[in-house]
Amino acid sequence: MIALFLKRCAKCAIASALAASALGCAGAKVAVPTAFPVPQVMKVSLPVGLYLDEALLSYVHRESLEGQGDWEIELGSAQRPMFDNLLSGLFIGHRPVERLGASHDDIAGVLAPAIEELQFSTPEQTRSEYYEVWIRYRFELHANDGEELGQWNLTAYGKAHQQNHAGASAALQSAALVACRDAMAFFTQQFRKEPVVQSWLGRELGGSA
Amino acid sequence: MALLLAWAGLTGCVTATVQEVRETATAMATGDSIVVLGRRSQPTTDETELDFISCVANSMSRGQNALNVLEEQQFLDATFPWFEPRIAPLNHTELPSIIKQAPLAERLDEMGLKYLVWIEGSTQRIDSGGSLSCVVGPGGGGCFGFLSWENDSTYEASVWDVATGQAAGKISSEATGMSYVPAVIVPIPIIARVRSSACSSLAKQLKSFVVN
Repeated sequence: MIALFLKRCAKCAIASALAASALGCAGAKVAVPTAFPVPQVMKVSLPVGLYLDEALLSYVHRESLEGQGDWEIELGSAQRPMFDNLLSGLFIGHRPVERLGASHDDIAGVLAPAIEELQFSTPEQTRSEYYEVWIRYRFELHANDGEELGQWNLTAYGKAHQQNHAGASAALQSAALVACRDAMAFFTQQFRKEPVVQSWLGRELGGSA
Repeated sequence: MALLLAWAGLTGCVTATVQEVRETATAMATGDSIVVLGRRSQPTTDETELDFISCVANSMSRGQNALNVLEEQQFLDATFPWFEPRIAPLNHTELPSIIKQAPLAERLDEMGLKYLVWIEGSTQRIDSGGSLSCVVGPGGGGCFGFLSWENDSTYEASVWDVATGQAAGKISSEATGMSYVPAVIVPIPIIARVRSSACSSLAKQLKSFVVN
């Protein structure tokens, strides 16, 4: 009887160890939700074009963390709704353009965003309570004749407290969504202050920029 | 069965205190609304629990003198990006310059927003002790030991008057409570509902503060 009990305990201990090990190495695979708000700001009286290349629309960040498994953040499918809503709040009109460098009579310029880099951290790495995501965007601005006017970078940040979410996936997804919203907020706040945008607006709008 | 019901009714003691500082007179008219927001500053610091914010908002929108409380996420979306962590006003003196932005002013007017409440703070475990072990065998099992822990909730709500851009006042809510789990064969949890107590006392005080 005692032998049977010890055997059962040994099986329990092995099963528990395997479960704990599996949980510890789980990682997460998340996609950023595609619902974004529209900025409530004064619109620039210009129509613009939006160029989203395939690299942006299919952007996925994959990373293996030592002892924490494989992690994947899919950002690509959120980029079109995100930039559509951003530009519909900032400009009187916008439309997609198929390629950069072409001439367009019906728009004042073309904005082309790209993700340069994504980084994330887990509470285990930072010894904090937060999942954190950083996204570095690069924006190119092209004139309506196709000429590249310039580019600038923007680093967005999002965090999510692990206690507010049921598991690593939900928390990481929330942090990535917060980072996307932060990119929209930062762009809304800063884009008129970028020298390349200032000179473009000055040229297109004259004194009313 | 009676024993189980008795266990379910066991809760630990919670000591809660609420303090109020009023700076201006307040009142809510029909059609006025209020929103409760969690302060989420960008550097990694303590962040107020999402369920605490929704607990306060829900408590204020129920019962006697129920207020028209806007849902936090809907408010953040409708006023985007003005209350996002990067841009949100840190002080009430920054509010007038933000709310005079034409599209935002229209949204706030549509919502009938009268007061904005920022909540900061969190619930922390400040002490714990004891040990408890459980054994399961072919003939049965049981737990023996004693666990205890103390939780402390500290929250502060700042009330801003949207129309005047002035601070209407501050309400702070503190609650502490000790939870116990004695176990002689069966563990009996006696949980102090500290955060829940802080939520209900803060919501009650906020409600009476804004209706004056």
